[in-house]
Amino acid sequence: MIRERLRPLASQAKRAYVQLMLDVVGRSLEAISQVDDEVRGEVAVLPDGFLFSMQVMPKGPALFIRKQRDGSLQYLGGGVAQRPDLSIQFKHLHHAFLVLSFQEKTAQSFANDRMLVDGDLGYAVRMTRVLNRLETFILPRLVASRAVKEYPDNLGLPEKVFSAARIYLKVAMNFVDTVRSS
Amino acid sequence: MSYYEFFCPVKVIAGQAALEHLPYEFSSRAVERPMVVTDKGVRNAGLLDKVLSACEEGGMDITVVYDDVPADSSKQTVTAIAKEYRKQKCDGILAIGGGSPIDTAKAVNILVSEGGDDIAQYAGSGVLKRPLKPFFVIPTTAGTGSEVTNVAVIADTEKEVKLPFASGFMLPDAAVIDPRMTLTLPPQITAATAMDAMTHSVEAFTCLAKNPLSDAYAAAAIKKISNNLLKVMEKPDDAERRLELAQASTMAGIAFSNSMVGLVHALGHSLGAACHLPHGLCMSLFLPYVLEYNLEEIREPLSELLLHLAGPEIYAMTPRSQRAEESIATIRKLRDDLHRHCGLPRTLQETGKVEKSQLDRIAQMTIDDGSIMFNPKEASLEDARAVLEKAWA
Repeated sequence: MIRERLRPLASQAKRAYVQLMLDVVGRSLEAISQVDDEVRGEVAVLPDGFLFSMQVMPKGPALFIRKQRDGSLQYLGGGVAQRPDLSIQFKHLHHAFLVLSFQEKTAQSFANDRMLVDGDLGYAVRMTRVLNRLETFILPRLVASRAVKEYPDNLGLPEKVFSAARIYLKVAMNFVDTVRSS
Repeated sequence: MSYYEFFCPVKVIAGQAALEHLPYEFSSRAVERPMVVTDKGVRNAGLLDKVLSACEEGGMDITVVYDDVPADSSKQTVTAIAKEYRKQKCDGILAIGGGSPIDTAKAVNILVSEGGDDIAQYAGSGVLKRPLKPFFVIPTTAGTGSEVTNVAVIADTEKEVKLPFASGFMLPDAAVIDPRMTLTLPPQITAATAMDAMTHSVEAFTCLAKNPLSDAYAAAAIKKISNNLLKVMEKPDDAERRLELAQASTMAGIAFSNSMVGLVHALGHSLGAACHLPHGLCMSLFLPYVLEYNLEEIREPLSELLLHLAGPEIYAMTPRSQRAEESIATIRKLRDDLHRHCGLPRTLQETGKVEKSQLDRIAQMTIDDGSIMFNPKEASLEDARAVLEKAWA
């Protein structure tokens, strides 16, 4: 009985968590594209104006990112009417939850058919590398190792802490700007 | 806890006089006027005649034949065949050939079923939402496994890109595996296509999306290839063993289309695109080097494969800790034997068609290839370059 009553609450909490995490990932992608040369190198190949999205099917939480002329990424929020050039779609809210709570690696989620890619596969591989790089910077090593296929050996603690601090600072400022403008 | 999906609704019709089942299969899908899609090589080898005769004897005259599919099929070819299909009022498609005619026929089936003249509008995954026209496939090589895969690639020559198509609806209703269709395959093509099937199986068994059902198909395919390939090289007209290889190819196709492939394919796709080498040869060139690269991530499944690669005696005699290395050594020995039999190159240098200056570009293309996603080890640009260097000479 109690379990039945709690189920909708658990589902709502899961949805809220996925929405929040996609928002954090979107803002963090914008930030890392401004501070990390490797990510800028990955993104450089994408055409200007390239629109990337991650969405939960059918009409669940989403994030939209656009590549700017200066080579950086711009987070556009969770609702853009335009059809994205590349979208990664989770088949179910729970599948997104597994990835965004770092219980399942992104690559394993692809392998498990939990996600669909609509668009150029080469760009999808690139964006996955960008997401992996982001996770290795902003997450503690123990958590990041669960999120990515292989934690990079050459990422030293000083570089990680310095880059993470810059990303977190930019994300915080982005949040503040959003609150002020709303 | 693991999770997987497995899907293969293709009816497999295999063995002696399999071709003679075609008229019945057509009638069971109410096909009265099928269109054959094939290439000149198939016609010139006399394989088309075998199919037409089998149908004629079964009371079905096939009169619509398109036999001009090029090696790398394009959007224009697909449009032209679809136009002919409509003009001739056909009601089903029979593809006869290797990868190119089969992929072309899959794309033609999309156009004639969904409508329109531009196949590009259906590119991507999951675009198709309903069943297509009746579709049958007779493979004439034992390697691609295209008769049981739900993908096709067609070149857009104007935009210079390759358009990928993926949908369960693209799978044929039936695949006909008849040993007569591969009996005259030249030795080097026999070797290269069999190594393609071997690579499909090994990668299916060792990459991220492996699952119990695809493992079963992959292991059985490896056993068939290991037991029969060299014997076919010695005696090419052995129909029984040709059939074993053809079945292995189909089984490998079922395995990898349900568990995907990895770095061997990523490297092979890139090498093939840059240097225009046959796909099967590219697979053979990279297989042992990628297994060495992935070794610590795949030690357990690769050790298991020794049983199917080398047989129970060698498996039992090899200490458990050395079985993975022995599996790689067995594949290397198979490549050496094939080189002796038919000159199948073992290194990039031996192909005579690859310049060392191209390796950087091939490495860059490799890390952007979709297959790399399913490789068990994260491969960087430097890693891909290092594997290419090892495969060089």
